[in-house]
Amino acid sequence: MSMNNYEACAVIHKHRGDALITNTMSAMMAITAVSPSPLNLASVPLMGGASCLGLGLAIAQPGRPVMVLDGDSSLLLELGSLAQIADVAPARFIHFVFNNRLQFSGVANLDRPGRHVDFCAMALAAGYASAQKIGTVDALEQSLPALLDSDGPHMVELEIIAPEKFTKQTPQIDFPDLQFTRMGAEKAAMMEALGTAR
Amino acid sequence: MANSDYAVPASRVHDILRDKGVNAVTTVPDFIQFALHDRLRADPDVTYVECAAENQALTTAMGMYIGGLEPIIMVQNQGLFNCINTLRSVGIDGQTPLVVFAGAFGREFSNLGKPLAESRRVMVNRTQPVVEGLGLPFYHIETQDDLPKIATAFDRARADKRAAVVHFGYYPAWT
Repeated sequence: MSMNNYEACAVIHKHRGDALITNTMSAMMAITAVSPSPLNLASVPLMGGASCLGLGLAIAQPGRPVMVLDGDSSLLLELGSLAQIADVAPARFIHFVFNNRLQFSGVANLDRPGRHVDFCAMALAAGYASAQKIGTVDALEQSLPALLDSDGPHMVELEIIAPEKFTKQTPQIDFPDLQFTRMGAEKAAMMEALGTAR
Repeated sequence: MANSDYAVPASRVHDILRDKGVNAVTTVPDFIQFALHDRLRADPDVTYVECAAENQALTTAMGMYIGGLEPIIMVQNQGLFNCINTLRSVGIDGQTPLVVFAGAFGREFSNLGKPLAESRRVMVNRTQPVVEGLGLPFYHIETQDDLPKIATAFDRARADKRAAVVHFGYYPAWT
């Protein structure tokens, strides 16, 4: 009972409307492919930054829905973000955690810490309005409209299939310059789209 | 000079922030800047967000900036050391003109009026070299004569689309 990054992002794309989406790690690859938009902001190379980038956007743009496409390891890096998101309590805020239980998903598939971590319980304990674990595309499809129509912040932990990892015959890549400039470029594009460029 | 001669009035810093259009603060509170924290928290025109860690203060501020607000980040020197990678990401690669206010926690009073490099304490004497090592401008506030540097920090950050650091060497006064 789980889905892959692309299946999950396809459902998010279908329902996003004019939502601002911050994203990181493997969810970044999927949302970029499935739902390209000037309203997307990648936290790269900055593992852990997506949740509070989304919080800042939600504070400044309270009329718009904000979706955070976080990773499980990424959220563990900045777990304190749950506290301030719950304090601010942005109403139209959905925090997805793509939980594949890995570091470097699809590349090295190294284990992450926290085998017993319950992200939904932590979000509720921090003060999120709701939290649920979703394991199928159909369940995500059914849940998302109601989440968009009710006050958040909402946590949605997605059970994501771990992809096959590269083999030892597959060399690690030389990252392109784009990896290091896209955050600034996407920031500029989002500001143009929002009319906040300065 | 008396120690109080190094205490710049928080009200004057607040005035400069108003002039520069600052309307939001993200912070992991700083032991040095209590008087400024107090004023900004009480300002109804300022959105003030307490964060659990400095990385989160920086990324929340970047999101605010993209969304149209004009935030500053308030941390202490230890906090600045704690978020170097995020500062690199949002303040250099991300081209976000965020001004970071950092307090010189741990600065011995005997160092007042002297170069920071002569402080006995690493967190004091290495802050400027670390910031400048990143290629970011560093503006040290030692006395009231240095207050114009704050406006300069905003102008420089906005012109270069990069972060800048304003460093308070002593407790701002509660006036």
